[in-house]
Amino acid sequence: MQTPYQILDVAVDANDKAIKQAYLQQVKNNPPDRNQQRFQLIHDTYTSIKDHKSRVAHNLFTLQAADFNTILDKALHTKQVGTTVSAESFNKLLSISMDDTSLLNAFADADNT
Amino acid sequence: MNDIIIGIDLGTTNAEVSIVENGKVRVIADGDSKMLPSFVGIDDNGQVIVGETARNQYLVYPERTIKSIKRQMGQDTHVVLAEQSYTPQEISAIILKRLKSIAENDLGQTVSKAVITVPAYFSDAQRQATREAGEIAGLEVVRMINEPTAAALAYDANQSESKHVLVYDLGGGTFDVSVVNIESGVVEVLSSHGDNQLGGDDFDQQIVDYLLAQIQDTYQVNVRAHSKAMARITRAAEEAKFLLSDQPYAQIEEEYLLEHEGVAIHLSHELSRMAYEEMIDDYINATLDAVHIALKGARFTTADIDEIILVGGSTRTPCIRERLLNEFGFEPHSEVNPNLCVTIGAAIQAAMIAGQEVDTVLVDVTPYTYGTSAIGSLDGSPYPFMYVPIIHKNTVLPSRKSDAFATSYDGQEAVEITLYQGEDPDALNNVKIGEFRVEGLLDVASGNVITLTLALDLNGMLQVSAQEKDTGLEKCIIIKNALSEFEGDALDTAKQRINSLLGQMDPRVIEDQPPEEKTGIIAPEIVAAGELISKAECLFGKVSNEDKEDMSDLIETLKNCIDAKDIQGLDDLTRELQDIIYYLES
Repeated sequence: MQTPYQILDVAVDANDKAIKQAYLQQVKNNPPDRNQQRFQLIHDTYTSIKDHKSRVAHNLFTLQAADFNTILDKALHTKQVGTTVSAESFNKLLSISMDDTSLLNAFADADNT
Repeated sequence: MNDIIIGIDLGTTNAEVSIVENGKVRVIADGDSKMLPSFVGIDDNGQVIVGETARNQYLVYPERTIKSIKRQMGQDTHVVLAEQSYTPQEISAIILKRLKSIAENDLGQTVSKAVITVPAYFSDAQRQATREAGEIAGLEVVRMINEPTAAALAYDANQSESKHVLVYDLGGGTFDVSVVNIESGVVEVLSSHGDNQLGGDDFDQQIVDYLLAQIQDTYQVNVRAHSKAMARITRAAEEAKFLLSDQPYAQIEEEYLLEHEGVAIHLSHELSRMAYEEMIDDYINATLDAVHIALKGARFTTADIDEIILVGGSTRTPCIRERLLNEFGFEPHSEVNPNLCVTIGAAIQAAMIAGQEVDTVLVDVTPYTYGTSAIGSLDGSPYPFMYVPIIHKNTVLPSRKSDAFATSYDGQEAVEITLYQGEDPDALNNVKIGEFRVEGLLDVASGNVITLTLALDLNGMLQVSAQEKDTGLEKCIIIKNALSEFEGDALDTAKQRINSLLGQMDPRVIEDQPPEEKTGIIAPEIVAAGELISKAECLFGKVSNEDKEDMSDLIETLKNCIDAKDIQGLDDLTRELQDIIYYLES
């Protein structure tokens, strides 16, 4: 399974502009008119990492379970969360903490490190 | 060697064809004209005429001349031409066939594939009708691309810096606006909006209405019932419009328009640009509203736009440039001829599909939202037809999106799925484009999950599938929105009909005829034989296999004679075929 960065052939720490350039290069080499499926993959890939917000979302989904818990702990400043977090409980936690700015900061940290 | 694919701009007022050769685009001229007026008519001899001749004939015989057929594409309607009824697709096919033969004459080889442009805001039905027109004309439509996008392709795209361009495309019958990002050889459409029933024809109509009111005041005559006088007034209005692009006043003179109770009626009027601009003000406002919707769709303001490209003959109207200058603070571009940039873009796209190296790659979006209806709420109250958008407006094509739905009561064994195109939260206010039913669902409590997937391809064709999550039970449809009359064989019949109409009447557009013969004079015997053959072929569906076989054999021999130009040999054969037809018809 290739990562988005591999598909677009761009460095993992690349900025918005570099990612966009890599995307356009891939589009030029794989025009939608020649191979619709390939183009769709490239476009979806680009959408998944095109800006800070999408990269945060992408990173969240691809986190290792251990890292995931660390971030959650950090975000919530608590050691109460058990070692296994189900999707539902995470969802609940997220919605409870919507106005908790520390959570958002934690996400930003995750993106920068 | 790849097949040749031509690029066609099938406009409301004019149509053009072009091709990429050795990396350069060339608009193929017919004689000395690069633009073919989109007029179709039947002349005094019963021959089909297309283009300038038909345009000229319109003044004298409006009843056997058709203009602006594009405005009726996708509607379930017929037009009458010399007492025969035709669908808009068939009339468009006649124009396409002429463009095809212009290209074939020029290239010295047959052409069977084309990229045809359509207004970005053309609906499913209008796109489908365009595709059918191509098929009737014997052209495989390998891709339909949006006109403003095609225009952007014609524009130099190779600067590496990102440039945000607004394409303002006002043609004879349609208006489109697209916001595109041009960067590193890729033209990305960010948003599109438009009005598929707004164009220069409406401007003409305003002047016509104004002139009619003048005549009514002066002579107390209603000219509307007189088709010839109306045709002359329409042409005079159009010419006045052109004049007003360059000068502040236009003198309209039409003598002896008609006679009313022994009085000759003349039209003589001076129209000022100011009066004209007032007449079309509402239309211009509508286009600017669309511009702002497109900007919003791209999450831009006017300040984000670097350049404006004007497309379509109607953008020659000076007040459009002024209004855009006021809105954006800079002058629009018009280095590329606004009448030709769409066909040029079509040729570039055609070359790309044919596998040639091109500088520019296109990424387009859908101008429409597609979705379904579900039980939900509208304005806070429960409502059974809440619109659930699935593929949103301005999504990059191709696109594939899914959404999950749940059954609403216990033991529900079937779901009805209706698809809509539009933006309104009430599904019933959107355009219904198809429906289907999934049966045999599990007998379980309500909340059985059904996944609905919509896939929209590059041509704007939609494929829909629904799947019961637990069993994998699946059903799918392809929405082509074909007009009912063109289902199945009907398209072939239309093709034959147009072929025989052109075959017997206008030798210049006969398919697969070597170019040198097209200008030559064709013996009347051959024309008669050709007519007879198409007549016989029309009967094929109604006769016994035995008769059909007899006729086929005869037709075969006849065709050999025609190929060999054996006029004498034709004589007996035509008589024999004539007898069979007479016998079959009586």
